[in-house]
Amino acid sequence: MAIVNLQNVTYKYPLTDSPALQNINLQVNEGEFVAVIGPNGAGKSTLCYTIAGFVPHFFKGAITGTVEVAGNESSKSSLHEWVLNVGLAFQNPFNQISGAKYTVYEEIAFGLENIGVPRDEMITRVEDALKLTGISDLADRSPYSLSGGQQQRVALTSILVMQPKVLVLDEPTSQMDPIGTREVFGVIRTMAEKGMTVILVEHKVEWIAQFADRVIALHEGQILLEGKPQEVLTSDLLREKDFGISRYTSTARKAQEMGLWKKDILPVTLDEAVEGFAPTTSTGSVHRLLSPEGRGKK
Amino acid sequence: MDALSIYVARASGLHHLNPITKFVLTLCLMICGLVLPGTWSSYLILLAIIVPLAIWGKVLSRLAKLVFNISLPLIVSVFIIQTLFWGKGTPLFEVGPFAPKLEGFLFSITSAGRILFIMADFILFSLTTRPDMLMISLKQAGLPAGLAYIIVTTLQLVPRFVAKANTILDAQRSRGLETQGNLYVRAKALLPLILPLVIGSLLEVEERAIAIEARGFSSKKVETSLIEIPDSKNQKKARVFFILSTILLIATRLIWLS
Repeated sequence: MAIVNLQNVTYKYPLTDSPALQNINLQVNEGEFVAVIGPNGAGKSTLCYTIAGFVPHFFKGAITGTVEVAGNESSKSSLHEWVLNVGLAFQNPFNQISGAKYTVYEEIAFGLENIGVPRDEMITRVEDALKLTGISDLADRSPYSLSGGQQQRVALTSILVMQPKVLVLDEPTSQMDPIGTREVFGVIRTMAEKGMTVILVEHKVEWIAQFADRVIALHEGQILLEGKPQEVLTSDLLREKDFGISRYTSTARKAQEMGLWKKDILPVTLDEAVEGFAPTTSTGSVHRLLSPEGRGKK
Repeated sequence: MDALSIYVARASGLHHLNPITKFVLTLCLMICGLVLPGTWSSYLILLAIIVPLAIWGKVLSRLAKLVFNISLPLIVSVFIIQTLFWGKGTPLFEVGPFAPKLEGFLFSITSAGRILFIMADFILFSLTTRPDMLMISLKQAGLPAGLAYIIVTTLQLVPRFVAKANTILDAQRSRGLETQGNLYVRAKALLPLILPLVIGSLLEVEERAIAIEARGFSSKKVETSLIEIPDSKNQKKARVFFILSTILLIATRLIWLS
């Protein structure tokens, strides 16, 4: 059953000529993990703000069509009611820190204080959320003393702890290393399996292919493609429209032209590429040099 | 970058006082210092009240360092301007076209005292009070959450601006901008610093507003608090005493003036 329902949504920011979103029709089912991809200026963040209620409650401008979440219509609800159902975390973690709390633990409790969660329940929820995102060891640190990747985890935890029905994430792993990204994608997948609906804007297509249920490709404010990750992420249309595609897809496409890629389906992830190339290459190994966030890579 | 506040954690009685008690004391001391007449009254408050409080809070050396660093340029400019450019008065000596006046010098002493004690008053409060604790106690005292948030984030404005300016400065230096040297070089470096600082800060305000709204900041529900700040009857009595003493002092001063 669709928990998020956008019908013919067109939105134009104030003082602009062209719409940021044009005639968007989108239904997302309960517990579904949908990834949104698109080049810069495609309307990805505007779509996030629209689902999260900030368009039109925060950003004014002209909106037509209807936006419904859990049966409530955005234009008929207030923002403070809307955010109880829809959580939003975005790219820049520094600006998501409230500035009013001294430790990560208190920062995560900030939202629960605002919505009047009793203290005992608040403690349980904060500790569970810290464990879930793997930042229990940061609980007593100042949010401002953390690395970008760690701050992004705090921002995500601060929203997860609110237990929204729909989680909207706009590039939540942009400052994370591959280990952090994989862990966060794992957390998001777990939340989706528990019934939370996830709408994620992300450029890291290899991770999307592994974790998302469905991919939506946005282009110039319109939905260009929609479908299973493998179908969408390897589509020729994405290459034509300058979308960022996986290096494994582009390599395999070239190999296909040279007759070195034998499979019908192109790969998106490293594992798929290794599996596809295995019959035509000699045995080799891939070495990865990684370290978690906050270990001084800055 | 640390917590973007100048708070120093110490196990002291002053640190454990309810933030509102310290806030009321800080405001009352500031008003008293401005109302009291005489050249030396500010120095008296500084030495008789603020310095003992700083010793109690175990932050005297930190306070002295901060007050000195922030106040010195202001005090020096006050002395130069008021002493050299005072109108009619008693000349202390003459050097070329300049004749520093005694009246200007005395006025500078008064102004310097006020600068020192106001700085020390507020810095002592900031050194011994966590901004979030102040926000919680203000909300517990019935202040609207929005107003409490504004007060607390305003207290962090200067450290946040300094941190942001330093980041921009480092970025511009790495791209070859000269920031050291004579006055002309430094003035030229101001524009590439100020523009991103102002524009970045405006964008930051918008994003922070979205972030806190997404976390139910405008919720109409009755707020709860993770941290409960204890308040005692003695502290409540002390706050009433500070406020009444200040009102009494203002009234006495007004009667004396009339």
